Amino acid sequence: MTLPPLAAPLQGHGWGMPHDASLDGWRIDELINVTSVFVIILFFIMVAWMLTAVFRHGRSHTAKYDHGDTRRSIAVALGIAVAIFFVVDGHLFINSVLVWQRIFGNFAWAEAQPQAVRIEVNAHQWAWAIRYAGPDGKFGTPDDIVTLNDVVVPQGAPVIFQVASVDVIHSFNIPNMRMKIDAVPGMVNRVWFTPKETGQFDIGCAQHCGANHYKMRGVLTVLPPADFARWYRDASANSARAWDPDDKDAQWAWDWQKHARI
Amino acid sequence: MSTPVAASVLRYRPPQARKDATAWLGMVVFLASWTMMFAALFAAYAALRLRVEQWPPADLPRLPLVLPLANTLAIAASSVAIQAGLRAARQGRQAAVLPAVAAALALGAIFVGGQVALWTGLWRAGLRPDGGPFPSVFYALTVFHALHVLVGLGGLAWAVVRAARLAFGPARHLGLRLWTGYWHFVLAMWLLLYVTVFLL
Amino acid sequence: MGVGLAEARENLMEATAYDDIQPIHPEPTSFWRRYVFSMDHKVIAKQFLWAGLLFLLVGGALAMMIRWQWAYPGRAVPLIGSIFLRGQGGAIGPATYMTVFTMHGLIMIFFAITPILIGAFGNYCIPLMIGARDMAFPFLNMASFWTFAISLVLVICSFFGQLGAAGAGWTTYPPLSTNIGTPGSGQTFMVAAIFVTGVSTIMGGINYVTTVIRHRAPGMTWMRMPLTVWGLWLTAVLNVLFVPVLGSAALLLFLDRVFGTQFFIAGAASVRGGGDPILFQHLFWIFGHPEVYILILPAWGIVNDLLSFFARKPANWYRGSVYAMCTVTVMSAIVYGHHMFMTGMNPMLGQSFMLLTLIISVPAEILFLNWLRTIWNGSIRTEPPMLFALGMVFVFGMGGLTGLYLGATATDIYLHDTMFVVGHFHLTMAAASFFGSLAAIYHWFPKMFGRKMNPRLSKLHFWWTIVFMTLLFTGQLIAGYAGQNRRLYNPYEYDFLKHLLPLNRYTSWSAFILMAGQFVFVWNFIHSLVAGEKAEANPWQVGTLEWTIPSPPPHHNYDVIPAVLRGPHEFANPEVREKLGRDWIGQSEELAGSEPGAAAAVARA
Repeated sequence: MTLPPLAAPLQGHGWGMPHDASLDGWRIDELINVTSVFVIILFFIMVAWMLTAVFRHGRSHTAKYDHGDTRRSIAVALGIAVAIFFVVDGHLFINSVLVWQRIFGNFAWAEAQPQAVRIEVNAHQWAWAIRYAGPDGKFGTPDDIVTLNDVVVPQGAPVIFQVASVDVIHSFNIPNMRMKIDAVPGMVNRVWFTPKETGQFDIGCAQHCGANHYKMRGVLTVLPPADFARWYRDASANSARAWDPDDKDAQWAWDWQKHARI
Repeated sequence: MSTPVAASVLRYRPPQARKDATAWLGMVVFLASWTMMFAALFAAYAALRLRVEQWPPADLPRLPLVLPLANTLAIAASSVAIQAGLRAARQGRQAAVLPAVAAALALGAIFVGGQVALWTGLWRAGLRPDGGPFPSVFYALTVFHALHVLVGLGGLAWAVVRAARLAFGPARHLGLRLWTGYWHFVLAMWLLLYVTVFLL
Repeated sequence: MGVGLAEARENLMEATAYDDIQPIHPEPTSFWRRYVFSMDHKVIAKQFLWAGLLFLLVGGALAMMIRWQWAYPGRAVPLIGSIFLRGQGGAIGPATYMTVFTMHGLIMIFFAITPILIGAFGNYCIPLMIGARDMAFPFLNMASFWTFAISLVLVICSFFGQLGAAGAGWTTYPPLSTNIGTPGSGQTFMVAAIFVTGVSTIMGGINYVTTVIRHRAPGMTWMRMPLTVWGLWLTAVLNVLFVPVLGSAALLLFLDRVFGTQFFIAGAASVRGGGDPILFQHLFWIFGHPEVYILILPAWGIVNDLLSFFARKPANWYRGSVYAMCTVTVMSAIVYGHHMFMTGMNPMLGQSFMLLTLIISVPAEILFLNWLRTIWNGSIRTEPPMLFALGMVFVFGMGGLTGLYLGATATDIYLHDTMFVVGHFHLTMAAASFFGSLAAIYHWFPKMFGRKMNPRLSKLHFWWTIVFMTLLFTGQLIAGYAGQNRRLYNPYEYDFLKHLLPLNRYTSWSAFILMAGQFVFVWNFIHSLVAGEKAEANPWQVGTLEWTIPSPPPHHNYDVIPAVLRGPHEFANPEVREKLGRDWIGQSEELAGSEPGAAAAVARA
C-alpha cells in the first residue's frame, strides 16, 4: 500500500487563512472577507468617533442638554441599526443559507455523483480510524481498506464522510478544505467536500478530547484520479489478505447511513 | 414639603404589610427558579426517552402501580391538610392549626416512607442507577424530588412546634404561608413526575 | 390599604428614628458580626470583592501559564514552575495543561467576574442607588456569601485531586467530563463547586430581583433608576431563571460520575442505549448563552451611567437603553444553538439559530449607539472611571463585531473551535467585564472606603491595560483566523500552524506585560485603602442617591429615605445651571420654583 512520494503536509505561512485546496471553500473565504470589509469600516468609524469626542468635546467644551429621546433622534438610531442589520447581517445570512443549501448540506447531490468516494471515520482517543468500502461497495466486508490517521482521496471527486466516535466528542477538521464536523459517540454525523488540488494536508481534532488532543493528527493525501484508483485497488487487495475474522475490534464499520440526524 | 412628593408617599403601606408582600414575592421568585430546575430535568427525561423505541427496556423490572398511587394520595392529602391549617390561622381558629399541620407532617413522612419502600423494592428486583437511561431517570427524578420533600418536612416540623405554642394568628402567619406555598410546589412537581414517569 | 396623606407626610418627613418606612437590622457590635457574619449589604459586597479579586489573580496566573506554553513549548515555567510543577521539572505537560485552561475558564467566569460585578457591585449599588437601607432579605444575603465561600473551598479541593484538577474545558462536555474521559476527584469537585456557586447565585438573584421591585424609594420609578441598577436587575432575573438549568446539567453529570447513571454516556461505555452527550450541550448552552449576558449586563449598565456622568450630559435615549437591555434579556435563551452549529444539527435548525443570533445583535447595536451619542457633544472629563468606561466601549465594540462571523453557519464552519472564538469572547466577555469592573471600582472606591485612589497611577493602569489587552486579544483573533484550534497543548504539531510561533510569542509577551501592569492597580488599591486622601460625600459631582450620604455610608444608609424627583442623568440642564450654579442636580434634590416639572414627572411615574 505504498503511496507515491509527496511533500509533507502543506505548511502555513503569514497570518492569513491556510491555503484553500477545495472546490467550494472559496465561498466561506469570500463571506469572511466581505464581512471583514464592513467590520473594519465600522470599527474605524467607532474609533474615530470616540477619539473626536474625547479630544474635541472635552472639559472645555460645553455639554449639550440633550436626552436624545426626540422622535428624530430615535429614528436616526433605529435607522442606523436596521441599516447595518439588513446590509451586513443580511448579506451574511442569505449567503450562509444559500451556501448550506447548495453545497455543504447538499448530500443528495454529492451522493448522486458516480465518482463520489465514501469514507467512514471512527474517532477515538487519540487517532482517526478510517475505512473505505472497497470494490464491493459495502462497509464491513473483508475488502474494506482500513487505515489509521491516513485519508487518501482523488482530486476532483466529491468525498463524503460519515463520522462517529467511540469514546468522547472529537471534531474532524481539515482546515485546507474548509471542512469540520463533530464526531459524537452514539451519533453518525456527515460532511463532504471536493478536493481541488493534489497534495498532503493536515487533519486535526477541533474538540478538546483529553490529554493528547493536540496530537490527534491525521494526513489527507489528494492524488490524481488515476493514482488514486491504483492505490485503492492495491490497498483493497492487501486488506483482503490481512482480514482476520476473529478481530472484533477491527470490525467497527456501520452500514452507510442514508438520512441525516437532527 | 410640596404636594407632588407626598403623592407618591401614599403608596407606602405600613411596614409589616410591606414586609409580608416582599417575603411572598421572594418566595415566588424562588419557586420560579426551582421550577426551571425541574423543567430542565423533565426536558432531559423527555430527550432521553424520545430517542428509544422501548421504554422501559424489556429486560428491566417494571415500576409498580399501587405503591406510587398510595404515595400520591398521601402527599396530596398532606397538601390539603396544610392548606386547612393555613386557613385556620387566617381565620383566627388557632386551636385548629396544630392538628392540621401535624397531619400534614405525618402524611408527608408517610410519603417519604413509601418512596423508600419503592426504591428498596426496585433495587432488590435489580433496577440499579447504572442500568442505563431508564433507571438513571427514575432514580434521579424521584430522589431529587424526595430531597425537596425532606426540606419541606423540616419546615412542617418547625410549623408544628410553632403551632403548639399558638404562634399563628390572622396577622402573624407569614412563615406558615411561605412553607405552605413551598409544600404545594413540591406536590405539583410530584404530580408531574407521577404522570410522566409512572403513568406514561 | 394606604395611609392618609397627612399621616404619610408625618411618617416620612418628621420621623427622626431610622425605622420610618424601612426598618433596618440593628448595627452589629462584635467583630464577628461586623466583618465576618454580617448582614449588611455593604460588608457582604466587600467580602465578594476580596474573594473575586483574589481569584481573578489566580485565574490570571493560569492564563499566563497557557501563554507561556504557547510561547515556549515544553520549557520550564519561571517561578510558578518551580513551586507548583516540580514533579514535571517545572514544565507544563499535556495533562496539566488541560487542567490549566479548564480552571482558568471556570475560575474567571464563576469565581472572579461573577463575585466582582454581581456579588460585590450588585450588593453595594442596588440598595444605595434605589434609596433603600439594605436588601429585602439580609439573612439570605449573608447566606449567599457563605454558600459561595463553600464553593471556593470545593474549587481549592479540586486542585488537590490525585489525577489533577478538572480538565474537560470550562464547557465540561461529556463524555470527556464523565469518568470515561476525566476520572478522578478533581473533576467531581469542580462539578460540585459549580452546583454550589449556582445555589449562591440564585440566592443573590432572589434578593436583587425582590429588592428592586419592592424597596425603591418614593418617586424612584422604574424609568428613573440608574442604568447600573437596570443592568444588575436584569442580570438577577437571568440568574434566577437560567442558573437552575446549569444546576440540572451539573447534577446529572455529577450523578453520571458518582453513581454510574447514563445521562450523557454514549459510545462504547453506554448501557442499554446510553444517554446523549448532546443533551448536556443543550442544557449547558441554554444556561451558557444567558450567562454571557449575565456577565455583561452589569457592565453595560454601569458604563452607560458613567459615560453620562463623566461627559456631563444626559444618557442618550435612556428608555432605548432600557428597552435594548430588556430585549437582549428576553431573547438571550433562544439563540443558544449557535454554540452547537458543528454538532451535526439539521441545517434548518442551524439557520433558525443563526437568524435569532443576528437579530439579538440589533438591540445591542442600539445600546452601543446610545453610548456613542452620549459622549458626543458632551464635556468629557478623563477621570479614571471614564477612561475605563470608554475602554469597555472600545473592546466591546471590537468583540461584538467579531461575533458576526461566528453567528453565521457558513463562516462558523471554518472558525468554530479556533482561537478566533477565544478572541471574540475574551473581548466581549473578559475584557469588557474587566473594564466594567475596574470602572466600577474606581468610581465607587471613594464611597466604599472613604478614600480616593491615586489618579496618576489609575491613569497609568488604564493605558497600560488597554494597550496590552488589545494586543493580546487581537493576537488571539489573528491566530484563529490562521486556523489555530482551541485548547491545543502544542499547536506546532500541525504543519499548517508551525509558522505561528512568532505570533504566539508576541501575543504571550503582551499578556505577560499586561499582567505586570495589574500590580500598579494592586499597589494603588492597597495604598489608597490605608493612606489615600479622604473622600468627601460626592467627589465625582453626580446625582445618584448614594452620593448624598457620607463616604463611607453609615450602617443604615439613609437617615431619611429620600424622595426622588427625577432621573439620574440630569446634567447640563440650563435651568439648573441658572438656579444652582452647577451642571448637575441630584435625584432627590429640590429645585425651587419648578413645581410643573416635578408634578409632571411624578404624574408620569
